[in-house]
Amino acid sequence: MDFALTDEQRDIRRAARDHLERHFPAMRVCALAEGPGGSEAGTWPELIRQGWLDDDLDMVELTLLAEESGRCLHPTPWWTTVALAAPYARAAGEPLTVPATFADGAPDGAAHPGAGTVRATRSPQGWTLTGHVPAVPQAGAVRCVVVRAHTEQGPAVFACDTGAPGLAVEELSTLDTLRRMARVRWDGTPARLLVEPTDTPEAARRAQLCVGVLLAAEAVGVAAGALDMAVAHARQREQFGRPIGSFQAVAHQLTDAYVDTESARSLAYRAAWLVQNDPETSPACAQAVDEAVLVARSAAVRTCETAVQITGGMGVTWEYPLHRWLRRALWLEAFPGFGDDPHGRVAEQLLRRGGPDEITPSTPDGR
Amino acid sequence: MNLHDDPAEAAFRAGLRDWLRSRLPDDDPSRTWSTAQLREWSRDLSEAGYAGITWPKEYGGRGLSAAYQAIFVEETARAGAPDHINIIGMNMVGPTLIAHGTDEQKARYLPGILSGRTLFCQGFSEPEAGSDLAAVRTSARRAEPDGYLLDGEKVWSSYAHLADHCLLLARTGPAEPKHQGLTCFLLDMRAPGVKVSPLRQLNGDTDFNQIILTETPVGDADVVGEVGRGWSVALSTLAHERGTFGITLTARLVAQFDRLLRLVREVGAEGDPAVRRELATLHARLQGLRYTGYRSLAALRRSGEPGAEASILKLEWSLLHQRVCALALRIQGPAALLDGDDAAWHGYWQRQRLRSRANTIEGGTSEILRGIVAERVLGLPRSRQ
Repeated sequence: MDFALTDEQRDIRRAARDHLERHFPAMRVCALAEGPGGSEAGTWPELIRQGWLDDDLDMVELTLLAEESGRCLHPTPWWTTVALAAPYARAAGEPLTVPATFADGAPDGAAHPGAGTVRATRSPQGWTLTGHVPAVPQAGAVRCVVVRAHTEQGPAVFACDTGAPGLAVEELSTLDTLRRMARVRWDGTPARLLVEPTDTPEAARRAQLCVGVLLAAEAVGVAAGALDMAVAHARQREQFGRPIGSFQAVAHQLTDAYVDTESARSLAYRAAWLVQNDPETSPACAQAVDEAVLVARSAAVRTCETAVQITGGMGVTWEYPLHRWLRRALWLEAFPGFGDDPHGRVAEQLLRRGGPDEITPSTPDGR
Repeated sequence: MNLHDDPAEAAFRAGLRDWLRSRLPDDDPSRTWSTAQLREWSRDLSEAGYAGITWPKEYGGRGLSAAYQAIFVEETARAGAPDHINIIGMNMVGPTLIAHGTDEQKARYLPGILSGRTLFCQGFSEPEAGSDLAAVRTSARRAEPDGYLLDGEKVWSSYAHLADHCLLLARTGPAEPKHQGLTCFLLDMRAPGVKVSPLRQLNGDTDFNQIILTETPVGDADVVGEVGRGWSVALSTLAHERGTFGITLTARLVAQFDRLLRLVREVGAEGDPAVRRELATLHARLQGLRYTGYRSLAALRRSGEPGAEASILKLEWSLLHQRVCALALRIQGPAALLDGDDAAWHGYWQRQRLRSRANTIEGGTSEILRGIVAERVLGLPRSRQ
């Protein structure tokens, strides 16, 4: 076993951080958060040139990019494109290089608040969509919406342009203004079939794993970004004639946040590697993704809250950028695109299995 | 990045697993091992080549990387195997002698440590030197022509009642600054003036001992490293402890968690939503701990130093183990009132629940560990003046 980043993976991370630091210092991110759209379109061509949307990026590489994106709240629709929409484009064998998102018009099981209903009908001119989804992330900032919609043969996946006739996008007031939700309506909107009804359940299952990994990865980045800010503050800020980071009551809170963040990072990397390298159908793989999500989401919220506490009076002002990170953490915690009960699935899996823990790397088969 | 064993690691694991299965057919947590049984078990381990896995070949070890040591601790924990009776000698004293010992000391002690013939204990902590280890007061007074006389009290010493020798930290320079007046010695536990008595813990067990030294002689040949440089020797001993120690603890916690699952089914608590949620959280965090350990191991392999993340292993382990033990007692309801043979599993969980309180204290308190992370990893200013 060798659970370390390769030199190439380190290079990818470094290049990503360079790009993001150059374009998106915290002040720029805050300005975008208060402007129209909450996102920046100008850097998209550079993202493409740098390979952020390459088809051959594997899950570990995407995880590193998502982590770096979370660290600075990368204000473009890159995350919705690769985490939500791209898995379906990949299932269809199509590259996806325009900003995109995913709307679920035919959700599995019990409907949640973000769900809606979209029906697809076929005419001699092709497929059209009708219906609505009440909250679609970044729909106001993308050019393509991938939609799961009902057909007579069961749910299938379609793609439509945001400029297509009969498509209405209405931006909603959103907790995290850098990742705004929008209500989307389709009214006889022409769309392209991406995934046939017979292949959709499998594509959705794979997409779920991808969403989970990249959600966890972004949460790790959000936690790491907030922790960096709080640590920098605790080194500089003096009270009672000493930097506040020299007080144990301050230092130990930051240490606990570091423990949470590192634990979440280990789980995110493990999940990414397993999704990439193990049979995707293995229960261990799905469990690893669930565990990464549940630890990383709470690490992000807890670390951001600790960071607010440590930055004190400054941390609770509108001008100090930290609340943007807290908002993203809360967004990730509430985002319904990963099913609603990873705890329940993990417990079910644990209590069903009879023998001792056989999850990798204890498999003696030497793969 | 590769999360699976490579072929050589897989072969080592499979061989070890078979070997363990033939000797320990099932994990029985309430089994108690007599000293004679532990000696026999340890001799078997040594003869099968499972002692000194990471020791250099020139000193009789197998010269394998820490990854193999990790496999060893995982598989032995999974099989419910006890520690090698000379674990202190193997994991702490041996590596310290290899790094700091004289040729004569190496020749005299290393073969016996490996075979289990020479048992070691460690004498660092004292009543007034716990977290502040450099405050040790045990004095080593010069006794001409060729030695010292030791006076003092050591506590929390595992295996001292069985040990032949002790790696001991004592003060040779009472007038010097506290980190500079210390020296490490190899003490013969049968020397005059050595008195060992058990320390009884809050759960009633006696895992540790007190050692009282009264005018106990040690020779110049028993000094490890240089006189007055005992602090750096002690630090390197503790660093060895922290090498794969986090992985050892984690592997045991993985086995302990499986026992908890067994108990959940036995008492019929599978349907309780609060229990299910806590199980999921604990398992997820346990995997986080486990894979953080693997990251640290990979860093150790690449750079010879465990990564920064290694410093959080013991801290996180102790908190998780306490939560596992707390849940195990909670799900027993009123039956948790009983103990010993009247309780489930002969009182195993009652003992563990109480024993686990020490986890956040022994081997570095959580407060000390958080301080280390704050200063060395996060780069925060020192809290002490």
